[in-house]
Amino acid sequence: MIASALENIEGFRDKWPFATRYARVNGWQMHYVDEGAGDPILLLHGNPTWGFLYRDVIPPLVNAGYRVIVPDMIGFGLSEKPAREQAHSLDGHIANLTSLVRQLDLQCLTVVCHDWGGPTGLGFAMSNSARVRALTVMSTWAWPTPPAEFHTRLFPWRMMHAPLVGPYLLGRHNVLARRGVYLSVVGRDKFRREAQAAYEAVLPDAETRLLTWVWPRWIPLDDTARAKVRFAWLEAELAKSRLPTLIIWGREDEVFDAATFAERFKRLMPHADGPHIVTGRHFLQEDSGAEIARLIVSFLHRQGGV
Amino acid sequence: MADVAIIAKPVTEGTRHALVLTEDRLGHYPEFRAFFVRTFDLDRVGLSEPGFVRAPSGMAYALVFVGRSGEPFPSGLEIYAIVDALEPLDDDVVDQDLWVILGWMIGGVGAPWTVEDLHATGRLYRIPAAG
Repeated sequence: MIASALENIEGFRDKWPFATRYARVNGWQMHYVDEGAGDPILLLHGNPTWGFLYRDVIPPLVNAGYRVIVPDMIGFGLSEKPAREQAHSLDGHIANLTSLVRQLDLQCLTVVCHDWGGPTGLGFAMSNSARVRALTVMSTWAWPTPPAEFHTRLFPWRMMHAPLVGPYLLGRHNVLARRGVYLSVVGRDKFRREAQAAYEAVLPDAETRLLTWVWPRWIPLDDTARAKVRFAWLEAELAKSRLPTLIIWGREDEVFDAATFAERFKRLMPHADGPHIVTGRHFLQEDSGAEIARLIVSFLHRQGGV
Repeated sequence: MADVAIIAKPVTEGTRHALVLTEDRLGHYPEFRAFFVRTFDLDRVGLSEPGFVRAPSGMAYALVFVGRSGEPFPSGLEIYAIVDALEPLDDDVVDQDLWVILGWMIGGVGAPWTVEDLHATGRLYRIPAAG
């Protein structure tokens, strides 16, 4: 049903010409694309998007001689969507990713992280560092304190995913895919014209949208947070890591603002390249996909790769 | 808030319970769970019966509380519209009723949660029931 809804979107196949692949990971059916040949680059999305977010990033990376793998997180995109919130955990999502990478036996891997693709992708990288060549971080976080002042506010963030309110707003009304992404890009008319429908189509009913309000509840706000220990571990591991790292951030990002978040990554990993500032709010790939690809290729060339 | 009334168990003959909203984690913010415990005397009633409310449309709703081993009760909540057994739901009516029930809940949970913030959130995300 979702695949046919996507096919009915005018021009969808022109923007997303990639072959559909599936792997059984950690008990779930994960959709991914796997294009090109060369050292692999893993592109990771977050809430509430899917691989489509990287549609303008994939072709330039493939043309530059890389193999590009773009999984849809379990619960999003064309991947299986668990019906119960208890099926989701940060550790479980890291394990999902680990399963895919091991099945594909990816080595010398560059892990590109955005939003919840950050805690999951960086968690994978820190626990499988022998497979990883480099990291890229964009509009994400990796520490056990609230990511932003925005996430501590009742209006609109905590109210949006409060008990019963979350299932109503994000479940019945799909507000994150329908309105939230739109508000978090710079070129809104272009986004509405070219991309909005592809984000809504993969979340067709309340049951499929579960993770859109479950992920916000995993953001650590205080000492009772479920993932506090995992985030503390992640921060400590990143501080020790010497993996080449690229920081890319959206100039107009008001939630994960560059001055706070990109700079915190830079303090955590002083050897990192950047931050490189591009046009974009939180979903910066929508405004600067080609520029992000160019920065990744240039960065990897400087590391002595393809 | 005044538009939602707690009612006794309605006559259910000739009706069905139609699931309209599910919350798996009522205690994500513990004050929400505390509101339902207080409002429906759940420390005494437990799992023996649902709570019932009547919404502005006149339709009755059953609030079915869910328990999970190892977690404070209730851990979850399912809201069912009580409708004529063979008649389809009017989704717009249910949506409007749920919005008012959410406002009633937020008002009952109390500070720092406010109905004004709920309505502002609804307007930001262009929820029809929020006006």
